[in-house]
Amino acid sequence: MSDSNPNLIRGGQLTVNEVQCFDMNNEQALLVPPDDAIWMVTFDTWLAHQLLLEGRQFPVAVLIPSDADFDDATSTHVHALCQADIALIAIDFPSYTDGRGYSLAQLLRNIYQWSGELRAVGDVMIDTVYYLARCGFDSFLIKPGHDAQLALDALHTFSDTYQKSYRQPIKSNRP
Amino acid sequence: MYIYDEIDQKLVEQRVAQFRGQTQRFLNGQLSEDEFRVLRLQNGLYIQRHAPMLRVAIPYGMLTSNQLRTLAYVARRWDKGYAHLTTRQNIQFNWPRLEDAPDILAKLATVQMHAIQTSGNCIRNTTTDHFAGVAYDEIINPLVWCEIIRQWSMLHPEFAFLPRKFKIAVSGSVTDRAAIGVHDIGLQAVEHNGEFGFRVFVGGGLGRTPLVGKLINPFVAWYDLLTYLQATLRVYNLHGRRDNKYKARIKILVKDLTPEVFAQQVNEQWARIKGGADTVTAEFVSAIADKFTWPSYGVLHENGSAAIAPHLEASPAFARWFRTNIHQHKITGYSSVTVSLKATGSPPGDITADQMDVLAEMADNYGFGELRVSHEQNIILPDVKTKSLYALWQELSVLNLATPNIGLITNIIACPGGDYCSLANAVSIPVAEAIQQKFDDLDYVHEIGELDLNLSGCMNSCGHHHVGHIGILGVDKAGEEWYQITLGGRQSGALKAGVKSNTDSNASAAIGRVIGPSFAREQVPDVIARLIQTYLSIRESDVERFIDVVDRVGIEPFKKDVYMDPLLAKTSNLVRESNV
Ligand code: HEM
Ligand code: SF4
Repeated sequence: MSDSNPNLIRGGQLTVNEVQCFDMNNEQALLVPPDDAIWMVTFDTWLAHQLLLEGRQFPVAVLIPSDADFDDATSTHVHALCQADIALIAIDFPSYTDGRGYSLAQLLRNIYQWSGELRAVGDVMIDTVYYLARCGFDSFLIKPGHDAQLALDALHTFSDTYQKSYRQPIKSNRP
Repeated sequence: MYIYDEIDQKLVEQRVAQFRGQTQRFLNGQLSEDEFRVLRLQNGLYIQRHAPMLRVAIPYGMLTSNQLRTLAYVARRWDKGYAHLTTRQNIQFNWPRLEDAPDILAKLATVQMHAIQTSGNCIRNTTTDHFAGVAYDEIINPLVWCEIIRQWSMLHPEFAFLPRKFKIAVSGSVTDRAAIGVHDIGLQAVEHNGEFGFRVFVGGGLGRTPLVGKLINPFVAWYDLLTYLQATLRVYNLHGRRDNKYKARIKILVKDLTPEVFAQQVNEQWARIKGGADTVTAEFVSAIADKFTWPSYGVLHENGSAAIAPHLEASPAFARWFRTNIHQHKITGYSSVTVSLKATGSPPGDITADQMDVLAEMADNYGFGELRVSHEQNIILPDVKTKSLYALWQELSVLNLATPNIGLITNIIACPGGDYCSLANAVSIPVAEAIQQKFDDLDYVHEIGELDLNLSGCMNSCGHHHVGHIGILGVDKAGEEWYQITLGGRQSGALKAGVKSNTDSNASAAIGRVIGPSFAREQVPDVIARLIQTYLSIRESDVERFIDVVDRVGIEPFKKDVYMDPLLAKTSNLVRESNV
């Protein structure tokens, strides 16, 4: 996922993505990534190796799949995640038409009170960042082929909103 | 009429700007066909047989004369001079060019109209009773509540990419004229201990798995409406099926989970947000109500019936029209008039630019410049002084807009079918016309009485055939078009004569039952005629409607008569042979 193009929107600015994806089937057969950079692990990996992942110099990022279930049965895990020392939570959009991530983001923000960084990854495009931001995402890894600058501008698509319980996007400082 | 404030206006303009950018990127090759498809759908643009088809919302069916004139302008400038009213209070243009779509939408925005979320897997245009705001039997004014839902659902950040489309209908009256039982969510206004709220039905819908909505909450107080809707949509968004588009509607989720479990899940989500920021306040409701301009009816000293009585006596044609096309108004001295767009020979629901202009004129001259569109694909002049009905009728007659067939067999609901739609198995418009021609004797049509005949060109059911008292469905057999007949469907209350309320019963829509093998196109009018003969021969009196007879005796007698008829039986054997 690491890339030298500034295709990450974060805090209202374009930057280079610093997070690398940890491959569970890595050659060294590591259970968890080395503590040498920010690595992203899946929610399942994090659940399985929570203790190993504590107290790192570089806390991990945790990736939630779009079909995650945050219902009562799993809520203690989600609560634990939101209390843990992690770099950020990312939600995957396998396709931009898969809208589950929007509801998951709302649950993380409003029910589980996640106040850290929430990143949209996967099929994230110019045309979806505005709604994503309103649902609680504050960073966006823009897919290849989409101009990240235009995506940043798209956070200004609408100046007003109707739905009261959804936040306003964090916008760039426009001249 | 709801009048946009600055924010409403800005939002539709910003949406046009957004779509203009998207169209540009698509045309420049910066947005792939796959990426663009969903974005254009959410702006009302389908790619169809002839060209893109543009579906414009008429929120809760309400239009001003000025808006109608603008639609006429659009039809002339960018289309072929006509448009089509749909069964969900939208209007469709069949021939615009993709390149022109942003300009069309910009033009519409100048009169507070848009095509936002008229298509795609999002919350669609909320529909209601076509007599909303003027009906005599209203518990609440659904227009205000539809506007509240419109604002809540429009550009909704969480529910723009649902598993499938989502349709909400609201009934504010004792009699449901909004077909709430066949919507993803149907809301029926009710009063409970002096407080008002809504009965909530979920999981109704037509298409290939027709189902009637299930009551999941008998009373949601008005102030909780939006949080309850949010909770319902959230359960659907998270758990609705996304692996199979034919199983993706909320009706399948409700069926798979059972209505009880579904309701339980909604309650769990609701508990988390109930009373939160989206709770509706009394100030908000009155602020929305204040943004409507309400007609100033004044006080009429007479109810107008004296003025029209002589005409009713002298003109049987006027009397016939008065009987079917006039609806009682909540204000004494006023009537609501349905302008039939179902004259024989014009495609059901089609309206020309000239007709739009004329009707806009009439809305100004005879009313307060407001109109409604109905899901039965007709136009309503909601506020006509009863004493002026005769004059209005004369004007409409000259224009062939006074067909006295509202509620009758020739008021056919039909989708565009094979002439326009690339999904069709069969044509619809020519069949509708052939049936209308078969029933060209107005006395006979009135003798038959109330009857909904609905026609779809394929099982997507855009013509609501499942809920027609008689339904006709185009089916494909070995590449040929055939028509299947259903009986006993209805869109709402089984209101038997004398029964005034359906608020206590469940969603009282019903899905029609198939009578047997399909028929060839030429046979359809004769089959319908045969069904009507059977009805007339077994009804107990002329207050027993076709649907009442089907309820009483079932479909067997009809089936028997149709398939025993030597003429029809012979050809239906042919049907079977040709399928061997
Ligand atoms: C000509 C272009 C049209 C196309 C391609 C089209 C396509 C479709 C499809 C695919 C569905 C099924 C969706 C599903 O099952 O989830 C559907 C449903 C529907 N369409 Fe259309 N349609 C068209 C025109 C119309 C028109 C003109 C009307 C109104 C007369 C209409 C009214 C409806 C309604 C009310 C439904 C919903 C039935 C339900 O509850 O499932 N459509 N349409
Ligand atoms: S019912 Fe079928 S044929 Fe008719 S408009 Fe809908 S998709 Fe087309």
